[in-house]
Amino acid sequence: MEDVLKTRDTVISYLFILPAFALVVVLLVIPMFQNVYYSFFNWNGLSTPLFIGLKNYVTMFTDRVIGGAMLNTILWVVFTLAFPALGGLLVAVFVTGVKGAGFFKSVFFVPLTISFVATGVIWAYMFSKELGVINGLFGIIGLPWKPSWLTDVPLNSFSMIIAWTWQQLGANMVMFLMGLGTIPRDPIEACLLDGASAWQTFIHVKLPMLRPITTVVFTMAMVNSFKVFDIIWVMTRGGPYSSSETLAVSMFRETFTLFHMGYGAAISVILSLIVIVISAAYIRRMTKRDMLYY
Amino acid sequence: MTARPVLRKIPLYAVLIVLSLLWLLPVVSSFLVSFKSSKDFVSQSWADLPTQFYFFRNLATVMKEYRLQDNLASSFIYSAVGTVVVILCSSMAGFSIVRLRPKFNFLLFLVIYSGTLFPFQMYLIPVYRLFNTLGLYDTRTGMILIYSAICIPFSLFVYRGFYTTIPREIEEAAKLDGCGPVRAFVSVFLPQSLPPTAVVALFQATWIWNDLLFGMVLSRTQYVRPVMVAVATMTGYGGGNIPWIMTAVIFTSIPTILLFVALRKFFIQGMVMSITS
Repeated sequence: MEDVLKTRDTVISYLFILPAFALVVVLLVIPMFQNVYYSFFNWNGLSTPLFIGLKNYVTMFTDRVIGGAMLNTILWVVFTLAFPALGGLLVAVFVTGVKGAGFFKSVFFVPLTISFVATGVIWAYMFSKELGVINGLFGIIGLPWKPSWLTDVPLNSFSMIIAWTWQQLGANMVMFLMGLGTIPRDPIEACLLDGASAWQTFIHVKLPMLRPITTVVFTMAMVNSFKVFDIIWVMTRGGPYSSSETLAVSMFRETFTLFHMGYGAAISVILSLIVIVISAAYIRRMTKRDMLYY
Repeated sequence: MTARPVLRKIPLYAVLIVLSLLWLLPVVSSFLVSFKSSKDFVSQSWADLPTQFYFFRNLATVMKEYRLQDNLASSFIYSAVGTVVVILCSSMAGFSIVRLRPKFNFLLFLVIYSGTLFPFQMYLIPVYRLFNTLGLYDTRTGMILIYSAICIPFSLFVYRGFYTTIPREIEEAAKLDGCGPVRAFVSVFLPQSLPPTAVVALFQATWIWNDLLFGMVLSRTQYVRPVMVAVATMTGYGGGNIPWIMTAVIFTSIPTILLFVALRKFFIQGMVMSITS
């Protein structure tokens, strides 16, 4: 009787995991391996796939458009670290202890509640050449500069990074605020009493204590900037002439508008490898800590 | 001595106020555009007030010309059903992994959790093919399935983390009372699961609602296309009719904004979990 109950409970424990496991394995895990497999083929989605080994990967390194997309991706990563990530830290430090902090926090929080698509549409309007807000403002202050933000290269990538910053800064600010909240008051007060300036306290006390959260936020920001797709798709479709594409957009264009399925798969594999390498250190730490429970 | 700190804070306030204005500018000007008729929009400067309040007429046009209500209905179904499926699957799995601990529970967890690692581009081609073979391409069922699969890894992580904090004694007591694992889950664990469920509902319903990529790849017809794909398609290559698009953007953002307002306190909790994940 005891044994029967035990077997029953074991079966139930697996049945509880089964739906989640099945969905993820069938729709994500197996496809991931299939995708790697497809990347070794020349295939347009209809005809019989032709095995070509590593040729897709070799082509990628000589493909000028992909080279440009790679450069754009790096541009996105660098400026994501500079604007939304570092900016989030600075804003979090600025609003702490300021009168009206609640108001300022809400302002930076607002864009988080809308989608990337909405962000893209809004900023495409802001940057539009003739009727847009930015050029309108330039006109008001008498600046004779009227750039076409979304078609000039590399201005178009910068414009989209500004839209991205507007959307993302609030999330990073929230995380840094949490980090700042956990810093004990005593060392900061001691520093200030010793005559250190607010800036010195920030550099020598707050920043070192924030290091764990800074690592996490900057890693996440980098990983997210590799995955940017929606904003670029809505604002420029990667154009003109693929000039503002990142790898994520190139993959989509190659696969679903040109039907180079194998090539698209290869691009996504490279993209994934980059993302995995960046988050590797971070994942290792997480699994190590988790292992402690087991 | 007392005046100095205040004076020193003036540049700080200046920076914050300028930044806030920059952050609010897109919001204010978007609303302004959505209030204008197309005629006002092309004849006025961006800062001018509309001659007529046109928001509802713009909305009516969008509904008529683009049949946005179909996409809204689809996305509503995806968000609601998808989130319920995700909540059920991941709370059950989380409970079993943490509390019933069958053999290989950590391995099973890692396999599921690996779903958060890769960029979505990694799944697009095989899933597109699989859905075509199974007849799930361009169906609402297919969309719900892929959205659920994408959301389960993070949600499982949230539930698993939460269930480790429930004291073991409660479960022992339930066991002594003759409760099997199913009863323990339904009557002891589920009723206490409000915080993780709120986090999952907020993050995943919002994510499904806002998705563009899977909608573009796995759907084609009006009745299946999710709402963000419809909005993105309205922009076209030449910019489209901006007052209409802006009205659509604002109208389709209302559900997620409301969800954020209602569940705001869980947002912070979710952020903590997503960074410790």
